Formats: sequence, C-alpha cells, structure tokens
Amino acid sequence: MAMIELAGKQVEVDEDGFIQDPEIWDKELAEALAPLEEVPTLTEDHWKVVNMIREYYLRTGVAPMIRKLCKDTGFTLKQIYELFPTGPAKGACKIAGLPKPTGCV
Amino acid sequence: MYFFVGKVLPYITVAILLGGITWRVWRWTIGRIKFNITIPPFPSSWPAAVLWIVWQIVSFWNVFKFDRPLWFGAWPMHVALAAIGGGHVLGVYTLGMQFHLLLPWLVTEHQSEAASNFLGTVFGIIFFVALLYLLYRRLAIEKVRVISATSDYLHLLLLLAIVGIGDYMRLVKTASLHYDEARHFMAGLFTFNPHPLPDNFFFFLHFLFVQIMLLIFPFSKLMHPFGILWNRWIINRPYQQPPMGMPGTKITL
Amino acid sequence: MPKKVLSDGTEISQPNRAVDRLMKRLHVREVPDEEKPAMAVRWLDYYRKDRRSLTLAMEGCVKCGVCAEQCHAYLGTKDPNNIPAARADLMRRVYKRYFTVQGRLFGKLVGAVEMTMDVLEKWYSYYYQCSECRRCGHVCPFGIDTCEVTMAGREILWALGFVPELQGAASAMVFERGNQGGMTQAAIVDTHEFLTDEMEEERGFRIEFPVDKPNSDILYVPSSADYLLNAETLKGAAQFFEYVGANWTISSYMLEAGNFGLLTDQRSVQRELVRRLWWSVADLGIKKVVFGECGHGWRAWKMYTETLTDYAVAGPGYTYTKVPLVNIHQEVVALLKAGKLKLDPKNNRLAPVGTYVTLHDPCNYVRADQLGDVFRYVLYNSVPAVREMYPIKEKNFCCGGGSAILYDDPEMYNLRIKFFQKKADQVRASGANHICTPCSICKAQFYPMVKEHNLTTEDGKTIMPVNGLIDFLGAALVFKGHRQI
Repeated sequence: MAMIELAGKQVEVDEDGFIQDPEIWDKELAEALAPLEEVPTLTEDHWKVVNMIREYYLRTGVAPMIRKLCKDTGFTLKQIYELFPTGPAKGACKIAGLPKPTGCV
Repeated sequence: MYFFVGKVLPYITVAILLGGITWRVWRWTIGRIKFNITIPPFPSSWPAAVLWIVWQIVSFWNVFKFDRPLWFGAWPMHVALAAIGGGHVLGVYTLGMQFHLLLPWLVTEHQSEAASNFLGTVFGIIFFVALLYLLYRRLAIEKVRVISATSDYLHLLLLLAIVGIGDYMRLVKTASLHYDEARHFMAGLFTFNPHPLPDNFFFFLHFLFVQIMLLIFPFSKLMHPFGILWNRWIINRPYQQPPMGMPGTKITL
Repeated sequence: MPKKVLSDGTEISQPNRAVDRLMKRLHVREVPDEEKPAMAVRWLDYYRKDRRSLTLAMEGCVKCGVCAEQCHAYLGTKDPNNIPAARADLMRRVYKRYFTVQGRLFGKLVGAVEMTMDVLEKWYSYYYQCSECRRCGHVCPFGIDTCEVTMAGREILWALGFVPELQGAASAMVFERGNQGGMTQAAIVDTHEFLTDEMEEERGFRIEFPVDKPNSDILYVPSSADYLLNAETLKGAAQFFEYVGANWTISSYMLEAGNFGLLTDQRSVQRELVRRLWWSVADLGIKKVVFGECGHGWRAWKMYTETLTDYAVAGPGYTYTKVPLVNIHQEVVALLKAGKLKLDPKNNRLAPVGTYVTLHDPCNYVRADQLGDVFRYVLYNSVPAVREMYPIKEKNFCCGGGSAILYDDPEMYNLRIKFFQKKADQVRASGANHICTPCSICKAQFYPMVKEHNLTTEDGKTIMPVNGLIDFLGAALVFKGHRQI
C-alpha cells in the first residue's frame, strides 16, 4: 500500500498504481494518472474510451470486454493501443479509476 | 579389525539395512495419495500400467528418450550391477557352476567356470568405466554439477572403490580369491557360525566397502530402486475417461 | 517489486506481495517475520505427512539432471535455480535438515540447510517462476512430479503471508464474486447480449446465451478471461451448443473453469470453487458439466474434485449428486468422429485460406489428460491448413505463463519474456502465421509475448494473431441456410 500525491490530493494506490477507492475518481485525478501510463495529455479520443469504461464499470462492476470497448468507441484495437500504450486492461482501466483486472489477463 | 569386519559388522549391516529400508518405506506410506495426479501415458487398465512401470525400470526409457548421453552411462552401469550382483550370488553359491547347472547338456563344468569368470570380468570393467563416465559427467557438465551435493560424489567414489578392488582381484592373479574360499566364509556368516576372513587384504577392503555402502543405503539416495516403485505407483495409474455424449441435445452421438 | 536482496548480497526477482488488506480478504494472517522460518518447518512437516507425492519428491531424487534441459524456465533464463531438480532442492535441503537421518547427522555433506528467511525469500522467487507445467515430471525417470513441490512451497508461503498480489486479488474475487475475473451477473448478461448481436451480424441469426436457467441439462463453465479478452471462444462454444441443440446454461454463481486455488491455496480457495460447482449443479438440475478452454482449470477439476468434495464442502454424508465432468473438446471430437458436425474449413471467418495455424498444446491438457490428438482432430477439421511445431503433445514446452505467473511489473515481466523464448523458437520454426492455443493463461501469455518476440506473419509486420480452438470450430460450423463468413 502506498500513498501518492495526485492532483494535489493524497491518494491510496496499490503496487501497480491503481487507485484503491474508485469512489474518489474524478476528471482531475484521471488527468494526473494519465502521465503514469505513458499518456502525456488526455485528448477527446482518450476521454471517449475512459468515459465508456467508467460508465460500464459503474453499471456492471467490471471493465468491459475489449471487443465491446472497441465497438462502442469505434476504435480498432490498434488505435486503442496507440492511445494507451500500456494496453486497455492496464492503462485505460487505471486512468478510468478501476481496480486492476484480475484473472488470466 | 579383521575380526570385527569379518564376524560382527556383517550382522550389524544387515540389521541396519533391512530395518532402515523398512523404516524409509514406512515413512513413505504415512502420506496419502490424495489426488489422482497421473501423467502420460494414461493406461486404461492396471496390467497396462504395471507393464509401463516395468518397461521404465528395465529400459530407463525416459533417460533414453530425453538424455541420451546419460543413458549410455546409466543403463550399462545398472545392467552391469544387476549382472554382477546376480553373478556374486550364483557364482559363489554354485562355485561357478551356475551355467552348467542351468544347461547341463550344453555347458560343461569347466566351461561354466570359464564363462563365469569371463562375464564377471567383462561386466566388472563395464561397471567401472560407466561409473567413471558418470563421475566425469557430474563434474564436467555445468547443469549437473550445480545440482550435486558432496554426498553425490562420495556415492560414486565409494562404488568406484568397490568395483575397482573387485576388478583388480579379477585381473591380478595374486590378488584373486577363489570361489570356494568366499563360499566357505559366506556360509559361516549365514549359518551364524562365522569363519575368519580369508587372508586377502583386497577381499577385506572389498567386503568392508560393500558393508559401508549397505549401511548408508537406507539413508541416502541409493534407496532409489524403491523410490521409483513408490513414485510411479502414484503417477502411472489407469485412467478411464467419462463416457461422451451430452444429455438432452437434438444431435446425439 | 524491485529486486529483493538476500543477506548474502544476491538479488532475486519476486512478484509483488499482497498488502494486508488483500490478505484479510483471503483469510490469511501474516506470520511475523521472526516466526516465519519455524512456522514454515511446521507446515512442511504437515504437508510431508499429508501428501505422499511430496514426501517421495523429497526423498526420491538422484540428481541425474535429465530435467534440466527440459525446463523452459531454465532454458530461457539459464538460472541454475530454475533447473527443476535444483528448484525442488530449495525445499529438499531444508527437508533433509529437519526430517532425515543423514541431514541431521551430516548436514553439510548431503547439502542440508537451516530454514531461514533467505530460504523463504528464495522460495517466493523461484516457486513463482515455475509454471507447474509438469514437463519435468513427465521426463523424470523416477516419475517425480516436481510440480507437487512447487505447489506445496506456494501453499506454505501463502499460509505464512507471502501472497503474490496477482493470485491474491484473483482468489479474493473467488470468495467475493465467485470467479477470478470478478464478473457480476449484470456484466455477464451484458457481454452475452453484445456477443449475440455480433453473431447475428456474422451469421444472420441470433444465438442466445442462457444464464442461470433452471432445469438445464448441461452446465457450460467458460474459461477465466473469456469475458474480458477471448470473445471468440465464448462465441464458438455458443455456436457449438446451438448447433447440437443443447439445453445448456451458464451459471453466474460458478462462472469460470479457472481455479487459482490449485495454483496457490488448495485448502480454501480451491474448495470454495468445488463447493460452488456442486451447488450450481444441484440448483440448476445439471446432468453434465462441460468445461471450457482452461488448461489448469481442467487439471484442477479432473484430478482434484473427487478428493476436495469432502466434509468441508459437502458436509456430513457427502450428499451431493455428482455428475460427470468433461471437457468441451472431448465432446466436440466425439460428435465429429460420429459425423454429426458439418464443418467447412475452407470458409472459416477466423482463418481465411492462406492461414497456417500452429497448435500450442497447453501443458495441463496434454500432461494431465491426453488431449493432444483431440485438439488436432478438431483443428485439422476446422482450419484450411496446419503447420505443427516441434515437439508437440505431451512433450510440448510451456508458454511460460502457466499457473498464472502473468506478472507485469518490469522485473517479472522480463522473466516472462525469457520463459517464452523456447516457445518463440518453436513457433518460428513451424512456419505458421496464426497461433491456436486452447487455454486462457496461454492466450494471456501469448498476446503480449508475440509482440515482445516479434512473431510476425509472412509480411514481417503484422503480429501473429492468437485464437482458441473452439473459436475456429465455431467459425467453421455450417448452419444450414445461414451465412458462413
């Protein structure tokens, strides 16, 4: 367990830097998390992906299937990797304030 | 010293050997075979499973398939060991007449003794060379050296000493010991009326080292002939696949 | 986690440790550091008396070295501690010291060592580099299953509080949501709807996924990451069940074939899943359970269910109705051999003509069950062309991700890349341009590793695609009157 300072707040994160309490997530926090995942600034495209993941998470409790993420946002998997170099499961989920996906991923 | 090694130690050795083996095997049976952790091939019946285990033991099949250079040392070494072990028992008991007694119409008494001597010498040399090769392998190959403990080398050196002395007695006339002398001595031990050791220093050493080997046998990796049986008993078991065909489908088998 | 430095100065890589809050969710109480070595010896004593396989692995090895060249972890890293015999020796040395005559009397001579924190730290490093693929067990002349040592080592570490975060988080999800991926019923239904829509676009008709449907005959238990990554595998299975007209269902209570308990903690996590399985079977009136593409999961269910359906799971009387547990591949092949499935390998959406598929045999399917031929029968009938790698079937090498050592911190990730080396060589030599592997962990290892090792198709740029086996089968099934591609 570690505390790091993000957007002027002390935030609890796990070893991989995923925030521990999804409730405290907001836009400023996302912008502060982005550089940690090799995303310098969040563009409109990034927000499209992040918002979709966030909305899906609040509705169902998990991250969406990668295939669904692509279809709903209209990006190909390759474009998603260009947007989030560390991958949708790691980078995008972290910026969207989700806990780290578990299982065989 | 001759008295102790010749008349007292053999009884201690046999007691510790048998007791030790029993104790080790008893320890192995404490734990249950909890899970059916089988490994290929999956024989379908017990006879097939036992056949596979026997095949593994007599041919060193896995060594042959996965580490050919080792097989060329290990398999001849064990075959020579088995032949020499059998030869010691039969040759000494029958005074070298084992082949004559087995096939009286084919082999004369004289031929039998010659054959016994010849085979003993040949297997003795194979045994020695194979052991040297195994020792070389343990020292020379990096991956085997790093997993070896001091005791692994000592086991090989002990065997080399036993076999080396045996071979020396075979090859050098002055050092040799005839069958009937050995039989006389062994008969004394078996009838609990021990005779003094034959007056032969090499025999004394040979006999002593063998006893040392038998003493450490139950407390070392030399137990592996028993280990292979107990191990394979766990993983080579018959396996029956549940019947195929799904209930309630429109398309059925 | 950065490298761990031992007291003698050597550096070892270790997976991230779970924090206290996560361990509480797993019902694990960390033992204080100063008590850990003594406690570990007590646990070792317990397991040696409990499992004959462990005792014999401890006492049966002659250090012949056959296993060294057969371990992908050693071949990839050249770390001597990754030689299976040496890895087992990490435990064997301690075992000798405390539980054998020769170790107590002549410790140094036979290589016995005291249990210390350093030993435990080494265990934590090397038992989580072993992927429990059992190739060493298969090649061992004595039949020593070194995987049993890894498993016991991990269980002891788990009990002491050495819990890796990845396995810990997934196992905590098992207690809380019933599956490693943490899927909720809402997410399951939503994903199904999405896939049904997708299949409608492809095939021209809707194939529904029944969820928690009472009075079903068949319970299909998909694999762990099917709901996040492997959409095609779920679709393939749905198309197969639709084709044969099965009365099937997926249970949200027992969603995943994966079983992280087998890999780390058989006492509670694996039992929890066994309990969930029998409860689902009873609640939904299931007559047969069909497991999806999950390698270690199949091993867990095939070999361990019988023993683990014990008092703790079933209560006094052991009253559960047990039903047959089978694998989807076996059922597919039985039907294929009977000529009941019509496949069109030339018109496969996932493998257009010109695709050369190579099959990676997941360790647990071929060394815990004899499915090598089964896979091939399905594959050869579903895709236009196959190019085999070498060696195959029960001699195949692990992908290096087995037992979910799919860590992505830089240190362990680097090791994963090395573990994959042998597999990359095999795939390259096969000349294929598409990889098929019917196991979620293998897929999760292949997805990033084909990039890291730059395994490309003929054009030298496109990274090789990875698919499961049922993916290909589903896409090759011919539904009368409906589109094929």
